[in-house]
Amino acid sequence: MSKSSFSKKINVLLVPVLATISGLILSSVILLLTNHSPIQAFSALVNSGFSCSKLTNCNFFQTLQLATPLILNGLSATVAFRSGMFSIGQEGQFLMGAIVAAWLGYAIHLPPVIHQIVLIAAAVLAGGMYAWIPGILKVKLNINEVITTVMMNNIAILFMSYVVNFPMNVDKGSTARSSPIDISATLPTFFQGSKWGVGFVIAIAASIIVYFYIWRSTRGYEQRMSGQSPLFARFGGIKTTRAVLRGMIISGGLAGMAGAIEVMGVHHRIMQGFSTGLGFDGVMVALLGQTHPVGVVIVGILFAGVRLGAQIGLQTFMQIPRELGGVIIALIILFVSADTFFKDVVQTTQKWLNKIFSRFRKA
Amino acid sequence: MALAVEMTGISKYFPSTAVQANRGVNFSAESGQVHALVGENGAGKTTLMNILYGLHQPDEGEIKINGKHVLVPTPNEAIHLGIGMVHQHFKLIPSFTVAQNILLGIEPHKYGLLRQGYENDMVRALADSFGLPVEPSEKVSNLTVGMQQRVEILKTLQRNAYILLLDEPTAVLTPQEADEFFKVLRNLAERGRTVILITHKLPEVMKVADQVTVMRHGEVIEVTSISDTNINSLAHAMVGRNIVFNKKESHVRPGEVIAEVKDLFVSSNNGAAAVMGVSFQVHKNEILGIAGVSGNGQNELTEAITGLREVDKGKVLLASLDITKAAVHERRKSGMAHIPEDRMTMGLNLQTTLDENVIVNQYRQKPYSRAGFLVAAAIRKLANSIIERFSVASAKTGEGIATLSGGNLQKLVLGRELSGNPHFIVASQPTRGLDVGSIEFVHKSLLDASRSGAGILLISVDIDEIFSLCDRIAVLYRGQIAGVLSAEDADEQKLGILMAGGNLDPAEEMTQ
Amino acid sequence: MDGSNGLLIVDLLRSGIRLATPILLAALGGAISNRAGVLDFALEGKMLLGSFLGILAAFWLHNSYGGALVAVLAGGLLGWIFAFFYLKYKVDLVILAIAINLLISEGTVFFLRTFYGNVGSWTDASIQQLPDIQIPIVKNIPVIGQLLSGYNAIIYASWILTALLYVVLFYTPFGRHIRAVGENKEAAKALGINVARIQYFALILGGGMCALGGAFLSIGHLTMFTRNMSNGRGWMAVTAALFGMNNPIGVFLASLLIGVADALAVRLQMLTTIPPMLIQFLPNVLAILALVLVGLRNRANVALIRRKFSLKSQKISEDGKSEAIS
Repeated sequence: MSKSSFSKKINVLLVPVLATISGLILSSVILLLTNHSPIQAFSALVNSGFSCSKLTNCNFFQTLQLATPLILNGLSATVAFRSGMFSIGQEGQFLMGAIVAAWLGYAIHLPPVIHQIVLIAAAVLAGGMYAWIPGILKVKLNINEVITTVMMNNIAILFMSYVVNFPMNVDKGSTARSSPIDISATLPTFFQGSKWGVGFVIAIAASIIVYFYIWRSTRGYEQRMSGQSPLFARFGGIKTTRAVLRGMIISGGLAGMAGAIEVMGVHHRIMQGFSTGLGFDGVMVALLGQTHPVGVVIVGILFAGVRLGAQIGLQTFMQIPRELGGVIIALIILFVSADTFFKDVVQTTQKWLNKIFSRFRKA
Repeated sequence: MALAVEMTGISKYFPSTAVQANRGVNFSAESGQVHALVGENGAGKTTLMNILYGLHQPDEGEIKINGKHVLVPTPNEAIHLGIGMVHQHFKLIPSFTVAQNILLGIEPHKYGLLRQGYENDMVRALADSFGLPVEPSEKVSNLTVGMQQRVEILKTLQRNAYILLLDEPTAVLTPQEADEFFKVLRNLAERGRTVILITHKLPEVMKVADQVTVMRHGEVIEVTSISDTNINSLAHAMVGRNIVFNKKESHVRPGEVIAEVKDLFVSSNNGAAAVMGVSFQVHKNEILGIAGVSGNGQNELTEAITGLREVDKGKVLLASLDITKAAVHERRKSGMAHIPEDRMTMGLNLQTTLDENVIVNQYRQKPYSRAGFLVAAAIRKLANSIIERFSVASAKTGEGIATLSGGNLQKLVLGRELSGNPHFIVASQPTRGLDVGSIEFVHKSLLDASRSGAGILLISVDIDEIFSLCDRIAVLYRGQIAGVLSAEDADEQKLGILMAGGNLDPAEEMTQ
Repeated sequence: MDGSNGLLIVDLLRSGIRLATPILLAALGGAISNRAGVLDFALEGKMLLGSFLGILAAFWLHNSYGGALVAVLAGGLLGWIFAFFYLKYKVDLVILAIAINLLISEGTVFFLRTFYGNVGSWTDASIQQLPDIQIPIVKNIPVIGQLLSGYNAIIYASWILTALLYVVLFYTPFGRHIRAVGENKEAAKALGINVARIQYFALILGGGMCALGGAFLSIGHLTMFTRNMSNGRGWMAVTAALFGMNNPIGVFLASLLIGVADALAVRLQMLTTIPPMLIQFLPNVLAILALVLVGLRNRANVALIRRKFSLKSQKISEDGKSEAIS
């Protein structure tokens, strides 16, 4: 017993580490093939993503700012996955939340705090409703949620492009964009010159709430049981369709909140190319963070650092395309998911070590 | 006579479940005979046959077929060697026709294309030559279970199987269908084929087999010819001690009606009629058995009563409360417990902890949750009391349950379902696949529950179980109650007739 | 009908067929994987790889047919990698698809930028578009000739593959084995059918077909590669495969429908002032509607049997066959 739980713990730690190392090795091969020094590249990546020279020009603050939507979208995916829905619709819900927040940000005028709360609430609602559609299609007609959420993402991306070009367009500038939101609707930042602000605190608070909701509340219990074993849940008296739908709505709400915070804390408006795939990245963050809030927060920050490091360190300083960051992440996801591969490796290594050890003891 | 199969010193260990399934097993079967391989669940007989069929590789041991040393790395090789296997769970493609199923993998073709007309002719010829008529162009999904089994046998014969392995073949048949089936087996043996029958039903061994090998705990206990043995000595060898097949004796006078089903109609997943106008009552202190061959509407009936399936027509009453449309959790709150047939996917969630498994039926109630949040300490206390009261071996609170044995898993289900002192218990096949010790435990728990006042509906295809527990026995046949007998009146023959859709003399029918 | 209107329709259908081709090829690839019991969500990535390597190989080999061939081989290789992770290491299909799609979409841009600088798209004057081929005799038949003749080789290949796949799936032993594996893996395995080999085969073939669809975009339809060139067509293909019930003929019709809708959308964009994004909604909304139709159909089937049964049940209870037993 104790032995099995010990080796289980080892696996929990070792698999992600080995997966990351394997991902980095494969990326190094790619770098070598394209005539770059992997060591230089990785140190540039880390230096740019996780450094902080002075408070007014701190890359790490930018990483934390970038981590904010990633954490919220990662939580969104976590709640959906834990409820048995493989929803990858974070991108669409994120955009819907952003559109609603940007619109209410200039269309109505309210005192601070109230204005901010109204925006976030409206965005949560918008994201939740947008996620409800694939949810209801799944529980009523058994339509695969992966496909519907992808389609819903496309629709939201097009819709975003439509609103910034037409109904919400302000100046006919080079980039289509909306009016800025009122000052009363913006979220304060911690330091001058950085956009790291209250949004990050909200994201951390959201992860704590999500943890308690999913693992400690009866409703979270209902959702997890419905996700893991729908038959068991139904047998026990859980209304699974309701639990799954609730999971989708909460998931969409979190992504919508991410959209609102991105508008209120960073851009103060929406424009063409508003999202750089922050919703999609949320899915990756959830997968790498073992669909657990603690993992999501840690991975969210690391992920943001890699993205930023790839942008600044690789692309700007070393002329290595920043897409390398995405390649590394894809490879790590692949290896993390193929965990039995590493279990094989761990097991044979253990056997091998045992053999050496016993021989050593004999001698 | 020549030995068709000779397996010597076969050992097999499963690391994933830490089970030594076979330990130095010697097994041989003569050609032209029906050889029964008997043993309890988990005795290792299916593993041994899976090794012979190439589905598992032995850790040690040798196999000889017709006196020649062979290796059987894959089922394909087994087929080449003339071995055919009919599995307990049929392996058929539902949307394919009979002929397509029988010829799967050995399709006749011309210029690379299938010859569908010729396929039907081939199968018809084969079926006729063995006296096992089938309609080759019929879709398998439209066949009865007995016919599907025939297709499975034809599948092996089409591949020139001289050695047929049959895993618990009569589990799905009525006694009459089974008799018909035994004739087929005798017929095959007379044609020189070797039939190896895996079973734990001793009466049918005595009826059909020439030779018998008894296994227990992965070892061979006894090999004998049928003429040299009797049912009691086989039973003794199989279980390792004397067992008595007894009817339930001490009768408690049944009290008031606890639950009632009135003119119930339920349809199956594909929309077809499964339960048609079933009515019965369950009284306080009473165990009502629903006997019948599996697939006669038992699942649908159970699910309709427990709230997992919509009722088309009719009523389900608990005490006098109409719960026909009530949600599962409302039924459970009103005192219904459910021990489902499938404990691995329905009764338990193997992916989560023991604690979360024991509260699924009462997580909303105090003290297990307060203000919408689970109370870990109270849940742990409940879990510990279940582990203790139902002696769930090697289970620990806060840990996973995936590695527990079937018996311990069922004890966990039982513990959870009985912990709230329910009035009405629906138990579906509660001992299927369990070892003798666990079966006794389950039976004792159910009897205790009925003595302390619960009404129990026991749905089982195991006649022995029905006899040893029930006060009254209703037989379900094609979705209808074919008859109800009191425990004193019931015997195997009467049940057999009812299970096959026959009629008893009206005078014998029980009207209370 | 007015002659010019007729011409317009032929024109619309022609461009519909062109737009349908990449989706059709990928959807056929998806359908064969689905038939073998593997729901493949990585069609998008497999297509994109085909677009990218197709044009690069056409450039290096100075031969566009060679480019298409390299794309097919690379797609097959990617299909093999997918199969390897799924079958050997049991990686969840959705996670696997997410990883593969991300790897290809970022990887293609990474290599593009590494080799050709900081660009979003790439082409070279030396690359030749696949030529259109006129079919003798057929081309002279009025209307039909215009509809069926004058396409490039990949379009004809997609038609031939549709027919071929249909025959293979339903009229050859191998196709029957594929369907058996998809419907009941255990049953097929018990009869000695090599399940893993069939699934490997289906995924490799499917990968190759997706990549051919992708290559059509970069060397058949245009002669350039742009980042994320497949632009959701892989997901349209997933839908088309499901909507076409994984039957090659059905998949062909579903893809054609999407292609014609696309062509119509292009016309609408040119002829009207409706914002283009709203028109681009169409295929996405249609895809969801198609899935709703499939879902409703499945439900209606059950309801139909149910209705028949409820009539029967009424009759039985009227016959009074069931008496209350207490």
